[in-house]
Amino acid sequence: MRFADDIRRLFKKAKLGIDPDADERVFEDMLNARQKVTENLPALPRNMWRIIMKSPLTKLAVAASVIVACVIALPLWRGTQSGIALADVLARIEQVKGLRCKIYYKRTNYNPALDKPYDIEMRVTQVVSEEHGTKKVVERPDPNGAWSKSETLYLLPQRRTGIQIVHAQKIYGRAEVDDTIVKSMREQYSSDPQAFLKQITEHKYEYKSLGIEIIDGNKVEVFQTTDPNYMPRGFKNPQVDVKIWVDVKTRLPVRYESLQSWDFDQMGHRLSQHLVEYDFQWDAPLDATEFDPPPVPEGYRSLVVKYPTHITEETIIQALNLLVELLGKYPEAINYPANLEVDPTNMYDLERTVLRLVEKSENPAAMRLKEEIKGLTEEQINNKLVDFLVPIRGLARFANVLQRDKKDPAYYGKTVTPNDADKILMRWKLSDNEYRVIYGDLHAETVSPEKLAELEKALPK
Amino acid sequence: MIEDRLLILGFKRGSRQALRRIYDKYKVELLRLAVVLLGDTTSGEDVVHDVFVGFAQAADRIKLTGSLKSYLVTSVINRARNYRRDGARHCETPLEEIDLRSSSERGPLQWAILDEQLTLLSRALQGLPYEQREVISLRMEMDMTFRRIATLQTASLNTVKGRYRYGIEKLRSVLNGKVEHEIRR
Repeated sequence: MRFADDIRRLFKKAKLGIDPDADERVFEDMLNARQKVTENLPALPRNMWRIIMKSPLTKLAVAASVIVACVIALPLWRGTQSGIALADVLARIEQVKGLRCKIYYKRTNYNPALDKPYDIEMRVTQVVSEEHGTKKVVERPDPNGAWSKSETLYLLPQRRTGIQIVHAQKIYGRAEVDDTIVKSMREQYSSDPQAFLKQITEHKYEYKSLGIEIIDGNKVEVFQTTDPNYMPRGFKNPQVDVKIWVDVKTRLPVRYESLQSWDFDQMGHRLSQHLVEYDFQWDAPLDATEFDPPPVPEGYRSLVVKYPTHITEETIIQALNLLVELLGKYPEAINYPANLEVDPTNMYDLERTVLRLVEKSENPAAMRLKEEIKGLTEEQINNKLVDFLVPIRGLARFANVLQRDKKDPAYYGKTVTPNDADKILMRWKLSDNEYRVIYGDLHAETVSPEKLAELEKALPK
Repeated sequence: MIEDRLLILGFKRGSRQALRRIYDKYKVELLRLAVVLLGDTTSGEDVVHDVFVGFAQAADRIKLTGSLKSYLVTSVINRARNYRRDGARHCETPLEEIDLRSSSERGPLQWAILDEQLTLLSRALQGLPYEQREVISLRMEMDMTFRRIATLQTASLNTVKGRYRYGIEKLRSVLNGKVEHEIRR
């Protein structure tokens, strides 16, 4: 069969290249196809980042935060003819401690695979308390045209917990979060006026007053912006129509409506989103019990993601120890890859990285872990790794925060081993005159920049 | 295996990176297979595109019993068979009419770029009955065992081995010395 061997060699030698432009288009098709599925069905449980930023529910929440941003932005819309001083509206909102409202949201997407548009609709009942957190109940249209409850979300900064209950799939996801995510929760979900003001003070949207209307017997003034700059950068050919109705007497918004659209592709397909927020109850009395999440309902799967509550030096040393135990050495890098910068809490990728390293390791701890997850279902693997990965998550988060905060961090796991008591494994800046240093044997000390330079000079090349 | 399971897990949780990793990991292998099975770059691209899009849509329902690669390869095989069966334009094509453009002849929307060797192989394979082509493609491209191929073709082991032998003989007559020349290039 010499000829068969030759054919095989020719198969091995033959090459197929990929056109990068077409490659991206195919991948976009996959994403679009996936998006359609995820947005038409209740979302799966996700880690905290997913809960915060990526779920359809949260997209809605983020969109809703735009509403508040708009409300807070009102002082920048100066010069009304009705006498409403929009700065007063801001001042009134700043005093609000609790809010109930309803939201209707509809997005029109385009599916290139089917060459037709499709809609995503949802209704949300939202309760926001500065003290207790946020609760959202989401309803989606069912096949019979009625609305049915699809998800319930709790974001509870004080308890450092996020909960997403996906009713259709009977999943109860709980994320235990750290300070960074709590801060993010507060900024995105509470009506923290300072955070929102900071976000919008640079914007100066063009607007006009559309005059006075009567809503429920009350006089309201309507303001409108069609300024395309209202939309974030990156949208092609944006069109904006945002209106807000402000009660002349109370100086508080009673309704908000936003219609935004933009180009999906160069073939003239456009995407749009329509959002209406109404039934505002400013300073509504909110009871703490309203934010008590229910226990896991019978028959629901319970999934948990944990983060260290506080990341300390001990946490990261514990994580480094764990990694040495698993891998027999330090990992070459501890922060997230550069392409995850925008997704710094995507813990899944960390799990995958760690597990891939563990797969290659024959250390006793690695073998034990591999044996433990052998034959487990995805849910079981997920839950198995929850506690196990907590310190490693802390380490990775710590490394990224150092980088984000420009603390001049460095890590030398590629060349330093656990036996190197005199070699620097990791360092970061405490002040202009001090660096914190962790050595290969994991003892730590604070050194001067000069001492650090000496230590780094002595590192293996 | 662990990586693939975690990729799927991550993808189900919504990780774009996981989907990207799956896509990048398998797209070239799948495209190569589809192109040699169908003998036409555009058709091969269509099949692999559909497989990936279908995978993205169905990920929540996928329960892997084997590897992810095996799942995707089987999807390509099934779609390639359907593609041939469903479209009259995908019937057996005479060798001289096969449109397998090399890199210098790329169309504006082409995803896969074939070098001359792959073009030659794909053309030559189109001269084989489809079952023989499938056996040789799976054996050579995917290093698949005869037993596995027999399962995929719902044929006996001996039948598959026979298809392989006949296929190789046919290729020998079609390529007639070109193989050695190409290997040495």
